[in-house]
Amino acid sequence: MGYSVHGPKARTGGQGQGLLPKESLYLIEICKGLFITMRHLVRNVFHMGDMPTLQYPDEKPDYGPWLRGRHRLMKREDGSPRCVACQMCSTICPADCISIMAMDDDRPDVEKSPETFDIDLLRCVYCGLCVEACPCDAIRMDTGIFEIAADNRAAFQVDMDFLLNNTTDGVKS
Amino acid sequence: MAKMTIDGKEHEFEDGMNLFEACAVARGENLPHFCYHPGLSIAGVCRMCQVEVEGMPKLMIACNSQVKDGMVVHTRNERVDGAVRQILNFHLLHHPVDCPVCDQAGECSLQDFYMANGLYEADVDIEDKIAKGKVKPIGEMVMLDAERCVLCARCTRFTTEITQTHEMGIFNRGDHSEIDVAPGKTLDNNYSLNTVDICPVGALTSRDFRFRRRVWWLSETDGICHGCATGCNMSIHHSEGIVYRTKPRDNMDVNRYWMCDHGRTLYHEIAESDRLTQPSVRKARGELAQTASWDHAYRSIEAAGKALGGDDAALMIILSPHATVEELYAAKSVLSDSVGGALLGYRLRGSEIGEGDELLFDADRTPNAAGAKKLGLAEYDAKQLEAAANEKTMLLVVGGDLALAAPDAGAALSKFGCVVYLGWQENSTSMLADIVLPTSHYAEREGTFVNREGRAQTFAAAIDAPGEARDPLRVIRELGALFGHEPTWDGIEAVRSELCAREGAFAAMAQGVGPLGLALDAAAESEVERA
Repeated sequence: MGYSVHGPKARTGGQGQGLLPKESLYLIEICKGLFITMRHLVRNVFHMGDMPTLQYPDEKPDYGPWLRGRHRLMKREDGSPRCVACQMCSTICPADCISIMAMDDDRPDVEKSPETFDIDLLRCVYCGLCVEACPCDAIRMDTGIFEIAADNRAAFQVDMDFLLNNTTDGVKS
Repeated sequence: MAKMTIDGKEHEFEDGMNLFEACAVARGENLPHFCYHPGLSIAGVCRMCQVEVEGMPKLMIACNSQVKDGMVVHTRNERVDGAVRQILNFHLLHHPVDCPVCDQAGECSLQDFYMANGLYEADVDIEDKIAKGKVKPIGEMVMLDAERCVLCARCTRFTTEITQTHEMGIFNRGDHSEIDVAPGKTLDNNYSLNTVDICPVGALTSRDFRFRRRVWWLSETDGICHGCATGCNMSIHHSEGIVYRTKPRDNMDVNRYWMCDHGRTLYHEIAESDRLTQPSVRKARGELAQTASWDHAYRSIEAAGKALGGDDAALMIILSPHATVEELYAAKSVLSDSVGGALLGYRLRGSEIGEGDELLFDADRTPNAAGAKKLGLAEYDAKQLEAAANEKTMLLVVGGDLALAAPDAGAALSKFGCVVYLGWQENSTSMLADIVLPTSHYAEREGTFVNREGRAQTFAAAIDAPGEARDPLRVIRELGALFGHEPTWDGIEAVRSELCAREGAFAAMAQGVGPLGLALDAAAESEVERA
């Protein structure tokens, strides 16, 4: 009755119990495994082209347009950032990697614009929520750039200038 | 008493009570509204608080009705909800819905209501909406966006009824109606930012706070304004150790719903460059002060005491009505009573006294003069200071600026053997002092002020002190230890309980002060009556 609160009872006897002597040698199973390995080796040697392995970095993968790569900021026609510094992206960001400082804009049709727009790429988890939250399509992750590596931390702190000039170079045509 | 039914439940209210307030009590939340404000007259223009009263052919606005015996009210049924939805649609008709760039987003009634009612799609194309003035500074502190206005007339009622300065009005007719300042006027009275608080939408925004921080990132801590003797209750809005704004906290006995612009903008001083963040010591008069560690500063005080004549050296303490009750008591009991320093009290003259008004702003610009008086501290005058100044005396100035109170204090200060200053801001006293001990700002420490009406009000620490600045209570404790009289208390709670036990005027504080403060005199009287 009831459940044991101490977990399953200790097993009696060793692990190999119940096997025949020839079974406990595992000889047949080892041969089976070796055969599979050899089959793949032979097939790959004679059908090199069918191999799924990609010769990275000489060959680049094609992830398609849905890849969430490094962010970029969109520009208006006059070259200024499209961003209105509403900070929806930094609000939704689960990694807290976007920091924006807003300022009054003097232009008649623009009330608010970003003074700074920094992303900490080391903290970013590439979830894409910032892109979804943006009410004016100012931030995108369609650059196709996924090779984000550097030998110092400062290189991952990207600012507005960098993000505005980020191109879609990484996208395969 | 009026027995009535609201949403199927029996309630009893005082006769003549406003139906809006009664519904708020019965529902546990307010009815949807823009124009109703408990501190202003009834306008009844937004039509959002409509309720169904049985026996009435049409829906009624709750804010302009009174409770009546036998009334049966429905606040949540299909008819009421439909009416509110239609009215809300009407309010949204020409609204630009530019929430992303609007500073009110996050604390906007219109935004909350349209989200609650699911009115996400505009019925009118943005090109067809009536364009009105945007980004118009109508005063030193206030920015107007007429398109976002819902014409609730709260701001115009405020300038008519509360400040009686009549700067604002509603101009034009029909859907071209808009709020604005009267021609040739600007909204620059000392209470202008209250219009921003009461504006339910983003039509009036604070130029001081504009775009500095999104409101949903702000945390609130209860504070007491230290700008004058009124002691307005406020909440300090801060985030990540930075104070972004202060807003009034409702307290019917002190500031009601309002606060003056002077007090609201004082928070800027927290992050000003003239903050004292590190102790400094001046080797000799006339030399520049060098920053030092706390340890070095204390050792310098010790050395200065010895140089002044060891046991013959006298200690004199000047307190300030800018310090909290706890600090005044600690300084008085430890440094004066135990250590034996002469207490010169405090001084309230010169530019500490300005011009007040009848609404909130008091002529006395210090927050705790009444508390100092209740502690039995007396005001000194400039002659006393001059008479006391001599080479063998170490002067300890706890907070404030002597030069503010007496312009000629500088000359007297230089006659003292050694001047030690405790404060958070650089001023003429700290410039003259030989040793400066930096303390935390009011937003960075706990304490109690007693306002002009004798109401003790406590405030909490919102953020951390910058650099090496320390809580003044801790510094007083450490100074006591330095002079060989370490106090028995440690921490503000212990100081408070000792204060309540030893100072009769503060005995009533023993049971706690509460969020709205405690009128000390009235509490003492009722204590006597009970006894």
